[in-house]
Amino acid sequence: MKTLKIIGFAAVVISIIAAFTLQSCSSEKVAAYKNKSGAQLWGENCIRCHNIPSPASFNDTDWSTIQLHMRVRANLSKEQSDKIFEFLKSAN
Amino acid sequence: MVFNLQAQQNDFKSSNNQFMIRGFGDVGFNSFNLNGDKSSSFNAGGFSPIFLFKQSDRLMFESELEMDMSTGSLDIGLEYADIMYVLNDYVTVRAGKFLVPFGTFMERLHPSWVNRMPTKPLGFGHDGIAPMSGVGVELRGAFRIGSGTMNYSVYTTNGPTLKTPNGEEPMESGMLMFDNLKDNNNNRAFGTRIGLLPFSDSSTEIGFSYYAAGNVGTKETAYENIGAKLFAFDFSFVKQLPEIGGIVDIKSQYAKSTIDNITYTVEEEPGVFEDLNFNNVSSSYYGQLSYRPTMSGNSFIKNLEFVGRYSKLETPVGSGFATNKKEFSFGLNYWLSWHSLIKLNYQNITGEGGHDVVGKINEKALFLNWAIGF
Repeated sequence: MKTLKIIGFAAVVISIIAAFTLQSCSSEKVAAYKNKSGAQLWGENCIRCHNIPSPASFNDTDWSTIQLHMRVRANLSKEQSDKIFEFLKSAN
Repeated sequence: MVFNLQAQQNDFKSSNNQFMIRGFGDVGFNSFNLNGDKSSSFNAGGFSPIFLFKQSDRLMFESELEMDMSTGSLDIGLEYADIMYVLNDYVTVRAGKFLVPFGTFMERLHPSWVNRMPTKPLGFGHDGIAPMSGVGVELRGAFRIGSGTMNYSVYTTNGPTLKTPNGEEPMESGMLMFDNLKDNNNNRAFGTRIGLLPFSDSSTEIGFSYYAAGNVGTKETAYENIGAKLFAFDFSFVKQLPEIGGIVDIKSQYAKSTIDNITYTVEEEPGVFEDLNFNNVSSSYYGQLSYRPTMSGNSFIKNLEFVGRYSKLETPVGSGFATNKKEFSFGLNYWLSWHSLIKLNYQNITGEGGHDVVGKINEKALFLNWAIGF
């Protein structure tokens, strides 16, 4: 019974993932996502947990340390992390 | 001359090794009314320095200490201390004591300047039913999937320990202790979390976590073969909505813990024994909604934040730690900067069980809390 429940939960999770994956695979959406700027990603991702920091809050050296910490802590993709912190370093 | 110029320039170049101290702290004033008994106090709060040592673009050591003075003395805890190495674009390995990604609250939202409330939801903290941190190894990463993002974590840690009648807190027999620096029975716990951000604006995240330990009892005892399975669902939605002139932030998490049943014979008083038989299933839930009118033209109003939270905790009926409590909290926050806020919060916890009081609980509390991240 327990095994069935676990399989049931896994099936639900996989179904949700499949449904969202299908809806998000149109070529225009994928291209729009790929072309997002660092500034856009900065505004959309940092706010998921905390307020958006100003680029002037830290210098380039500090941002590079924070980049590695936050990439892992927030589980950002490399693509997101690189664009966000390139923007922060260019704008501070 | 050239040498001197180069030396001066080198003074301003960053070194390969970078060390940084960040962290967060909070202070406050609390007022409680627990079943009619009133108390109030200024609260020195907490101070949690975070140490980051970056040796290269791939290798980092990170650690957070938690210094808590709310009990009247200084308690120091080690929240995490781990080494991480980026293996490639999609996989990072962490080893040591790390925050366990079972749901998102403890890993991402617990710092006082990130948590919109001055307290944790029911089900987290001392009587929490889910792991907060663990000692072990983890692989994690994220990648684009269509126009969304998927993140994952798989890990193994020292397994949780089952509290038993022979332990320090016999009335909590059947409860799990997760924070084990040493494994009690050479049986590791395994866990995973999968998070999906289906929309390209990263506004929404749905997560599923699973954590299992085949044996949680101490070796060569009657409890050796007791196993535990836990799962959690988490949900997050954060977006600035022009229609309502501000940012809406919704967070929620449901967790359930199932531990194999066994009879615990507890000595209630010297020479008086009681058999505790119960269905060892616990669950907790919280949902939080906050709204910040960031698009207001008034600089005072745009820094306000309205927040409400509901949480619930149920632990096994018939156990020595039986609890059935629910919490309603409402708060008004004011952001002084992007990383510092003042929280005014009213909280009401009702139900029964737990450490605070025997029988029914009706606790009303008022918190004034000032938190800063640095």
